[in-house]
Order: sequence, then structure tokens, then C-alpha cells
Amino acid sequence: MLKSYEHCCSSMQALATLGKVEGIIPLLHGPQPCAYQLQIGTMTCRPSRLLTAGTLIKKSEVVFGGEENLKNQLINMYRQYKPKIIVIINTCLPQLIGEDIKGVITEVELELPDLKVTYIDSGFNFPKCMPLGNDVAWVSIVRLLEKQEKVKGSIGLVGRSGQDAGAFTSFDTFLKRAGITVFPFPAPHLSEMEKIARAEIIFPVHVVPYLTCKEMSERFGSRVEYIEIPAGVQGTSNFLRGVADILKNQKLHDLVDQQEQEMRPRIEAIKERFAKKPVKVMFAFGPASEFGLSKIMADFGAEVIMIPSMKNKFAQQEKELQKKRYNVTIIEEDFDTLEDLYDQYRPDAVFCETQGRVELTTRLIPTFCNMTYLTAYGYDFALDMGEKFHESMKLDVLSSWREVVQRYGGDQYA
Amino acid sequence: MLNSDNKSKKARDLSGARELKMKEIHKPSAFEGALWTALGMKDARVIYHAPPGCYISQHMDALMHEYPFELYTTSLSYANVMQGAESQLEEVLRKTLARKPKPKLVVIVTSPVVEITGDDVEGVVEKVGDKNCVVIRPPIGGSLHEGREKALINLISIMDPAVKKLDKTVNFIGPTLDTFNWRADVFELKRMLAAIGIKVNAVLTGGSRVADIINTPRASLNLCIYPYDCGIETAKIMQTEFGIPYLAGHVPIGFKESAAWLVEIADFFKVDAREYLKEETEMIFELIQSFMVLPITFECSAALSLDNNDTYAVGISQFLKKELGMELSMVAVGSAAAGEKVKEVCSNVLVEPTIDEKKEQFIEKGPMMIMGNFYDLKIAKELGFNNFLFADIPTLGYIATEASPFMGFQGARNLIQQTGNQIYINFLIETKGGMDEAISLGEIPWDLDAREAFVKVASMIPHFIKATAMRKLQKKAEEIAVKNGTGITMDIIRTVTEQYTPTRFKSKFLSVLQGGQDGEQPGEFSTELTFTMEWDAPARELMEKIPQEVQAMAVAGTEEFAREKGYKKITAGVVNEFKEEAGMGNK
Repeated sequence: MLKSYEHCCSSMQALATLGKVEGIIPLLHGPQPCAYQLQIGTMTCRPSRLLTAGTLIKKSEVVFGGEENLKNQLINMYRQYKPKIIVIINTCLPQLIGEDIKGVITEVELELPDLKVTYIDSGFNFPKCMPLGNDVAWVSIVRLLEKQEKVKGSIGLVGRSGQDAGAFTSFDTFLKRAGITVFPFPAPHLSEMEKIARAEIIFPVHVVPYLTCKEMSERFGSRVEYIEIPAGVQGTSNFLRGVADILKNQKLHDLVDQQEQEMRPRIEAIKERFAKKPVKVMFAFGPASEFGLSKIMADFGAEVIMIPSMKNKFAQQEKELQKKRYNVTIIEEDFDTLEDLYDQYRPDAVFCETQGRVELTTRLIPTFCNMTYLTAYGYDFALDMGEKFHESMKLDVLSSWREVVQRYGGDQYA
Repeated sequence: MLNSDNKSKKARDLSGARELKMKEIHKPSAFEGALWTALGMKDARVIYHAPPGCYISQHMDALMHEYPFELYTTSLSYANVMQGAESQLEEVLRKTLARKPKPKLVVIVTSPVVEITGDDVEGVVEKVGDKNCVVIRPPIGGSLHEGREKALINLISIMDPAVKKLDKTVNFIGPTLDTFNWRADVFELKRMLAAIGIKVNAVLTGGSRVADIINTPRASLNLCIYPYDCGIETAKIMQTEFGIPYLAGHVPIGFKESAAWLVEIADFFKVDAREYLKEETEMIFELIQSFMVLPITFECSAALSLDNNDTYAVGISQFLKKELGMELSMVAVGSAAAGEKVKEVCSNVLVEPTIDEKKEQFIEKGPMMIMGNFYDLKIAKELGFNNFLFADIPTLGYIATEASPFMGFQGARNLIQQTGNQIYINFLIETKGGMDEAISLGEIPWDLDAREAFVKVASMIPHFIKATAMRKLQKKAEEIAVKNGTGITMDIIRTVTEQYTPTRFKSKFLSVLQGGQDGEQPGEFSTELTFTMEWDAPARELMEKIPQEVQAMAVAGTEEFAREKGYKKITAGVVNEFKEEAGMGNK
């Protein structure tokens, strides 16, 4: 592949993930371009705090080692902000020169016994998989949480980075109305996130937090059950019914029955529209949102092509499920540019990141930005997307510009 | 290796190896500079020899501000790097060269990781055997401008020294992608030169084609249009290699300097620019006659935070001060050289300040307008400054086209237009009557202590937001007085000051309002008092000692202070620290 179509580096994803949780401060251990780019990038995707602490590794530290500087920065951060946890985001360069991060942590913790320091190795450790930055960031937190007494009959919902903290309401209200105690992870504050250790059964709601769930299972002794992403009408119902079956909760089944009954006229109208105006949609490397969005569109009858961004166990389950249920085409072979792939499959619309959008918009092809569809959980999102999709392609606008460039643009646009 | 004694000592001495500025705004580096320069050539293909994260960040960042370009990558993994990434580069280079249409030039920019491993990039290029390749290796720790300069110098290798010289042609050296407003500035400067019969042969590099770069030596004169940032070293080499002289003495920002810039070029080519300058002078003077009313009437002031664009810092500061009569309450620059020049028009020059240092200056000086980047805008909004112009990178969400230059005559007009509109319109909106206000509330009597407190509060509010803030306070105080059937009392002033002033300034007001309460007994907590953070008992006791009327303000102020400092719990120590900062401590 000549390009990379993901939204950001796994280090940036880790920074954005950790920066959203009160009580945690991430420390970016990397050179100046890392700090500049990651600070700018995270300003667009988190509650934007100007604080981005970095070690700004210089060439002399590459030669002589930067452990002392890292240690000083940790102590300085603790003195100024008194965080509960500092997470060192260890980027490519210090990994390459083999810095002794664990040794630094040990020294700092001896000096500051109230402080917990942990670290993650992101960057080129996870090439071509930005969401892994999210997963390992959660793992680093879970490693520091204490095991707690379980609350009988309770469940934990484990999702992705920050935006999921407010997105569970689109489906967890059913769980709460059915009398189930729910512990969400993530949550805005560390003290709320800690409660995940009290859940008897953990239900991941996305493919991203595979390592997180594995760590929770090992550390807290929680049972982990991956059902499917609660996205799309059928996906949401299947998820809720799956939880109902495991907990033997008939009330939850009844609530889902009732909801499906109420939605039926809207769903039929949407499916009718997709039947009259068939569409082929390609989902390219969302920050794992392609797994949920593809189900929404396939549910209504669109032909779906997906280029997945993740390969973990949950992702494998989700891919198999989508192939069987909706006949989704999964592309995992290497390709040079998205434009090449477009020419091969000729979809009517493409969901992708900015790099892909610029490439395809040049040819006036309808594109959608993955990053604006990050919280695709539940019934309402699916119905809204289905009802608006055809208009959202803006075919009239694109065709107007096609006419302009063909009429006045000369040979270069022929 | 350090012995344990030395090591232990060094660990505690935090002022040594690196001063960590906790709220540091990170600046673009030499890697950005090299990439933005290479990407400026429309039909070149750039390969960033880097891990995918570096590539994605650079690609996304530049795409957010620029028109489309093609940037490829070797997507290095840990394994690639460990085993040597030459084969990966070779594969990507061959693929790139095979793309249709065939790239006119391939530029390989190395990333920090490759600079550590020391890959033989030049060896790969030689092996592949295509002549149209340039390698740029930016230095780790180098500045944005060093990266730009290095890239420009490396591009000299593709220039053809044998091309025939063209009369009355110039090259622009310096505009690259992500230079703030470069597209509009180049457009305007080209327009001005065209008006006196001079053509721009090549722009190094923004918007050029590879053929333009190859034919750069055709021009008779090089113009460094960002002389405080980059380009002069490149111009010097080109003077030696191709015999092309260069000019870098004027920054074409503002009317006078733009005219001086043009006259210098006209003199070089022995062209008569007088007729054109007469037309431009007539046009701009009509505007100036109208606009001069504004800075004189309102004593306009501005803070410039332009530390990623020293040329703009120098040019805009000179223009605002010398041609518009605006006071410069602060100018932030990126280099000492620019700082020295700016000192001619501003006594308060900060070189590479932290965000906290800038914030302090904004609060203390209270400029009527701030020019800066995305981070400055964020601070300005938080502090209640509404008049802001983007003039530096980074600029998240800002759309820049050819339409709004800051350079040249059109740039002077645009700066006047935008500055005037920001200040004048916001002034009218904020200080004049509301759409649904009562025509008159009648004359409301003031208690003497209330009037005194009001005047003291006014003196503490920064200059430009003062009018807005005081008008609002007075209006709200009058409304409450009318509702209560009383005059304006100290209690009412406390209430409105608490409710209608920016949180940032409340700690200052507290001293004034508390001063009027000497001798009062400690009161009970207000029933409406809200604690949004954890408070320990001694801290709460300290609050009880504060008069009830200002308890809410004190709680809110202390909590905000604690959040800023990163405290999770409010103790008596935190309260006292806050009091010290608010000027109410015992020291």
C-alpha cells in the first residue's frame, strides 16, 4: 500500500483515549514532530485540553539515552498536577533506542510512593491499526485497578475511547429498565471506570477492546461474552437478546419485542427506499467504526464492501457474522490507493478518512467521513442513518460540479 | 555513566536537563518543514519514509489546511526497522515511479526513526536508477524553518543551470504548504508585479510544477518573501551557482513596505512603477481616511501571537503600529532576530513564550484584538476576548484561499477590513442597546459604597471588554434594584459581579467586594452554594469565614483554581494558595 487510510497514529489514539479521563495524565515520550502532530490531532478528537506533556527527545538523548529526562518529567508532572496515574506513551523512537522505561518507573515510584506510573508501547508496534492505541491504553489502566467484590447480576459494558462514554445510553436504557445493574467502561472519571471490576459478566460492545477484556478477565476474574456490536436494528436487538438469554431476563426480551413492534413501519419504509434505489457502499478503514456502520447499511438492503481496520478475535467473529448474515464482501488483500480499489469495485458511496475523501472527491464520488460516525450504537442512529442516506450522498451537488468542470474546465477534466 | 550520587542529585534538580513547560504548545519541526516544502510541487510525488503513524499524522495535518496533494509512505513496522528498511523503500519507490501519470519528480523525506537507523536511502535511489529523485533528511531537533531551508537547498540539485535567462522575471523563495496564507499572498504579489510588467518565473515551492523548479535559473532576480523565516540560505547558493541576485530587505506587509518592496524590484529592472503606485495609493487612501477614525477614536490595541511566522510578526507589527496607529500590547515571535526588529514598534516582545505566559499577557494588557493561531483563539475565547484574527499556524478548521492576503496592497486592505470589522462591529454589538430592552429604567439611585465598588471592579477589567462588562453589570444591577424597589446597593453589586463577569477575573473582584464587609460576622453557608469538587472540613471552615454574599464566588473561584492546578481535592492549603494568588493572602 502506498498510503495509509487510518485516522491517526496508535500513539495519538492512546493520547486521545487517556486524555479524556479525569485523574489520568498521559506523558508523550517522543521527539518534537510526534508532540506537535499528536497535540494538533488530539485537539480535534477529545475534550481539548491544552495540556499535552511531552519529553521532546533530542538527538543527544538518542545517543546518550533519555531516561533521566523522562524521570524528571514524571516527577515534575506529579508535583504540578497530582494525578492518580501517569501513563507514559512510549513512541517509536525510544522503543527503537531501547530505553529502560520499566527501570525509570521503578525509580520514580520509589521516590513518589503515592503515584502510579504505567506505560504503553504504541507507534510502529501497531502499524496499520490505530484502534489498537485505544485498546492498549485501556489495558494500561486496567493493570492498575484493584479487584473488587462482584455485584450479583451486574454486567459491564466495555467500549472504545471517550466518545463511547456517552454513547451507551442509546441501548443501555433497555438494560436498566429491565432491572440490570450496568457498569460502563469507559466513563468520564477514573473513579467510575474502576467499578468495572465489580461486574460479573463483561459484554464488549465493540470489536476494539479485545485486549482490555482479556486483561479484565485475568485480573478481575470476570466472565467475558462477545455477542456482537449493538449497531443496526438487527445488531442492537441481537445484542440485547443475547444479554437477556445469558442473564435469563424475560423483561429485557419483552422490552425489545415492544421496541421492534414500534419501529416496524419506519424500518419497512427505509427498506422499500433501498429496494427502489439500490446502493453499493464501501467502508474503508474506519477507526473500527466500519464494523458497526456496515451492519446498519446491510440491514436495510445495501450491498456492502468492507476493508476492516482490525484483526483481533472479536473482529474475526464480527466479520464472519456479517459475511453469513448479510453477504458482506470483506477485502483484506493489499492495495496501493483507495482510488485503485474504487475503480475495481465501483461503489456508489465510500465511507473513509480525510486522505481517502480527498482522493475520491477529486473525482466527484460521494464520500462520508468515518470520524463523524463514531457512535453508531442503537436503534435511533440506525433509523436516522437509513432515512437520510440517499439525500446525504448529495448526488445533485456532485453532478452540478461535474457539469461545471466538464463545460468550462477544458481538457484536464475530460 | 553517572554514579549513584550524581544521578540522585540530578533527578531532583528539575531546572537542569529540560525545563518542562506543562502547558507547552508544541511547535512544528524540521520534518514538517521538509514535507510541506516538498508537497508544494503539484506534480511531484513525495514518499515519507516513516512508520504509518508519522505518515498519517503528517498527511492528515497538511490535508486539513491545504488543497489536495499526493503523499506516499513506506509504512515501516518495528520489524522493518529492525531488519533494515531499504527493501521496503525500494518497493515503494518502484511502485511510485510506475504510477500513471509518471511522477515528474519523487522526493523522499526521511522520518526521525530512519534518521536513527541511518538507512542507506541514497543507495536505494541509486539502485533503482531513476534520476528524478531527491532525498531530504531533516535533522532531529531541527526547527520548522531549518527543515524548509534544507528542502529548498536540496531542490537546487534538480535546477537546470543551462536554461536561457528571461528578462523581467523573478522567483519567490519561501512559500510552502502550511505557511499561513501563502496562497493568497503569492496571488497578490504576483498581481502587483504583473501590474508593472514583471512575471513570476517560479515559486519555491508552493503551487509550482516540477518543470518550474527545473527552470528556476531562468529568472533574473530571487525574492525572499519570508526573510525572517527561510529562503536566504537558498538564495545565496543560487547566487553563487546561477548568478541570480536576491532581495530580502523588505517584508511586503502594509502599504508602505509593499510599495517599498515593489519600488526596489522596479528599480532593479529599471521599470517605472509610479503610475501603478499612484493608482494604488489613491485607492488605499480612501479606505484609510475612513478607517483612521477607528484607531484614533477607540485607541485600538492588538496582541500578536505569531511565533511560527516571524516574517508576519515583523510585517504586521510594523503595519499596525506605524500605518494604523494601533498600540501593540504584546508580540510573540519565534526567534531573537525577529524579536529585535519588532522591538522598534513594541516594548513587550516575547520570544517563544509558553501558553501560560501569553495568557498572562492577554489578561494583563487586555488588547482589543488578538492575532494568532488555534491555541491562541482557544485561550482568547476562554478569557472573553471576542476580537480575533487567524494569522499563524496551526489553524484547525480554518479555510484559506487566494481571496484574503496579508501581503501586498490587497493584503493591507484586507488587514484593515478584517481588523476594523472585528473591532468595530463587536464594539457596536456588545455595547449598544439590546433588541428587546426597555427604553428606560428611570433614574436609579446608587449607595455610595456600591458606586465605589463598581468603579474599583471597572478598573480591574481589561480595557476592551470593560465597556461591555460594565454596561452589562450596570444594566443587571438596575433591573434588580427596580424589581426590589430599592436603590443599587452593595449586595446587588456583589450579586451581579458574581453572576455576570468572566470567572477568570472573579478572584480580583473578591478583594474589592470583601473589603466592603469588614467587621461582619462569619455567616452560614448560602443554601444555594454548590460544591462540584471534594472539599475537606478545614477548607469548608475557611469558606464559612467569608461573608455569605460572596461565598458562592469564593467556592467557584477556588474550584476553578484547583482544577487549573490539577488538584483533585480542596484542602485548606489550596484555599490559602488561591487567596495568595488573588492578592488576599497574608504575605
